[in-house]
Amino acid sequence: MVKFLSEEWLEQCKRYMHEKLDPEKDLKNVTTSLLGVVEHIPPENSTMNFYLNIDNGKLTDFTVSSGDSYEKEAEFVIMGSYGTFRGILKGETNMTIALLKNRLKLQGNKIKALRLMKPLDGVIASLREVTDEFEE
Amino acid sequence: MLVGNSKFEEAITIAKKGSHCGMCRFDFLDTGLCPSGTKYGYLAYWPQGRMQIFKNVMSGKVKPTEKLIEITDSCSLCGICDKQCNFATQLRPEKVAKALKEYVESLNDSDFQNIPEDENLKGLRDIVGPQWATNDPIIVSSYISSIISPDAGLNFYIVMPKDTEELSKVIKYANIHNLPFLPRSGGTLLSMAAPTVLSKAFGLEQGIVIDLLRMKKLEIDTETLTATVGAGITAFDLQKEAHKHKLRANVAEAGAHICGNIASTGILSTWGNKYGWAADNFIDLESVDDEGNISRHSDLEIKNPYSTEYGFTNISLTPPLIVTQATVRLNPVFDDEEAVFVPFENIKDALHLSFTVAKRGIGFSNVILSRKYLAEFISPTPKIAEDFEFILEKYMKLNYVVDIICNKDEKKIIENMVEYTIDKSTLTALILGCPKLATLKNSEFMKILSEEKDPLKALFAGPMKKHFEQALDATPENISKIYDKDLQEFFKKVYSKPKMTDIVWLHEHRIFPSRLMRQRMFLPMGGVIWTAYENNLLEWINMFETVGEKHQLIHALGFISPFDQGRFAVLEYDFYYDHNDANAKKCVDKAILESQENSLMIDGILSALNFYFKGLYRKEHILFPIAKAISKEDQELFRELLNNIIGDE
Repeated sequence: MVKFLSEEWLEQCKRYMHEKLDPEKDLKNVTTSLLGVVEHIPPENSTMNFYLNIDNGKLTDFTVSSGDSYEKEAEFVIMGSYGTFRGILKGETNMTIALLKNRLKLQGNKIKALRLMKPLDGVIASLREVTDEFEE
Repeated sequence: MLVGNSKFEEAITIAKKGSHCGMCRFDFLDTGLCPSGTKYGYLAYWPQGRMQIFKNVMSGKVKPTEKLIEITDSCSLCGICDKQCNFATQLRPEKVAKALKEYVESLNDSDFQNIPEDENLKGLRDIVGPQWATNDPIIVSSYISSIISPDAGLNFYIVMPKDTEELSKVIKYANIHNLPFLPRSGGTLLSMAAPTVLSKAFGLEQGIVIDLLRMKKLEIDTETLTATVGAGITAFDLQKEAHKHKLRANVAEAGAHICGNIASTGILSTWGNKYGWAADNFIDLESVDDEGNISRHSDLEIKNPYSTEYGFTNISLTPPLIVTQATVRLNPVFDDEEAVFVPFENIKDALHLSFTVAKRGIGFSNVILSRKYLAEFISPTPKIAEDFEFILEKYMKLNYVVDIICNKDEKKIIENMVEYTIDKSTLTALILGCPKLATLKNSEFMKILSEEKDPLKALFAGPMKKHFEQALDATPENISKIYDKDLQEFFKKVYSKPKMTDIVWLHEHRIFPSRLMRQRMFLPMGGVIWTAYENNLLEWINMFETVGEKHQLIHALGFISPFDQGRFAVLEYDFYYDHNDANAKKCVDKAILESQENSLMIDGILSALNFYFKGLYRKEHILFPIAKAISKEDQELFRELLNNIIGDE
């Protein structure tokens, strides 16, 4: 178990997703890319982002970087506070509700994004499995 | 030791029946306001909060703190709450206040828990002042059911900023410290949803409740015909002030807060055909976004604030902005305004009249009221409402009333369009004489009436009219007799005031709708439909009926009101239920899911869930183009979305 957004976290997530997630069964063979922008990270109130690319249900790219500018273009961008992402990863907050409560802001086709919620549940479950440390 | 005490048991029953209608927080009967609530602000110090606290301490949801002593000591048992609450709900909150005092007196020092100030509370108090931020569990618990879900813990801060700048700082603080937050105004929408599955969707699970009550600015500008109101101002407060200048605002029910209402459903009233909906109602807004940035709609630099996402996935569960101040339109009140009530047996005839009048631009307020609404609004007790409705249906065959407020000339036009109307003297007789009417339930008079070919005509335009009015024995003294003995003199005076039988005043000030929440809850469903789809409208009503029957709920059409020159109509269909009954709650949950999904399967409809929190936008962006029934594939997606929001059963 590792700290959210750390290098170790990234590596363990990749490994977990490769080993445990079935491209067809868990990820429904989706092809998409997602940029998550995490704002208000304590203690410095900083911003970080993570990018993941899934091709036909297989994770092909997963990176983390700091700052609020990002090089990679994604089909979807979701922005939210550290507290919101923490709630999702702790299983306290439902991602769809966070979106509808405006706690996560989405750029991209909303209908398509909502259709992806189910397959993305598998990814969230993976992140949840390897993450147990957060900034408080 | 207090268990088994009958006064105590009675207080528990009263507290459980409280429905957070909020009628104890503004002065609608000229009694003055609860002195404790006015001084301390937090919900805990108002009658509705005390009822919630009593329920919470009795159920063990919260342990006493020293604040509870202040809360009970601050209540002078002046009795204002009994008068206000009794008018709306027939409850006696003062009995709860007394029981709470007794309970506190019975406690030992060791019964009180001590909750220290933590770092976040310190930070919030630095912004709003020590008095206006708290994490006291007793105060927090008073917000349960009107913004905090009954299933949530008590891990909250309650903050009452005095102005927009303080609110902005609170939000910035919340973001830096990753605390979720939600504004609270009247809390009625949330309290209607609180006992149901929707509470998770609309409520706050932890963090900061921002109570906006302290923002009490209210200024009328008679030159521009506008009013500037802060977020703590209710519809009644505004209307009362506007009326002094022979002006009228377009407002929702009396307890709705203007700014909160604008940000949630938009101001949706029976006056919408003339005065508009959503962005039609305001000139300017001051607001704070979720990053704490302050802006005004009149700023040239901001992005278009009037457009919104279109389609069935546009659901929002929170307001896009916290509106702290609104400049709203006021409209002139004319001396020759009158009400025209046209009774109907069937809905098609009622729709035809209402929509024709709306399309011709006649009248200020235009609504079809169901017999259920008519009975609930007018009747001072639930039992009288039940008997009244029975009489309307079985004997009079009065199922709908087209209810129009218009000027003298327009009244003549409407009267020429119909065979008969219910005139002013009969309406006055119905309001003051409804207790007597209820006693006529099995009378010979009613049996004779029901045998008439057209009972409505015989009653309202025929020879029976005079006898009917006389039989109702309609006087303030007689209606006051249905109240508890100690309140009879007060209610005699209330009903002696001309405004209590002035239909125009009642439509403007909207003090009756709270009676829909008396001692039990209702969940309003429905939405907006294009009036060109009249058959779909009928199908929509049938769908709600079917769903209500299937889930064994008391259910009824509430109202249909046209707007935008009759292009659209807003429809409300209600499911009624006991908010203390877990089984009833489950039935409502299923009815919500099913009726929401079914609504999207009909052309021309924007369901309620799709226009919640859209009130800031232009109605043209919300309603155009015409919504089409969604595909099977989209239906699946919507169902998933709803299950996500509402939770898989």
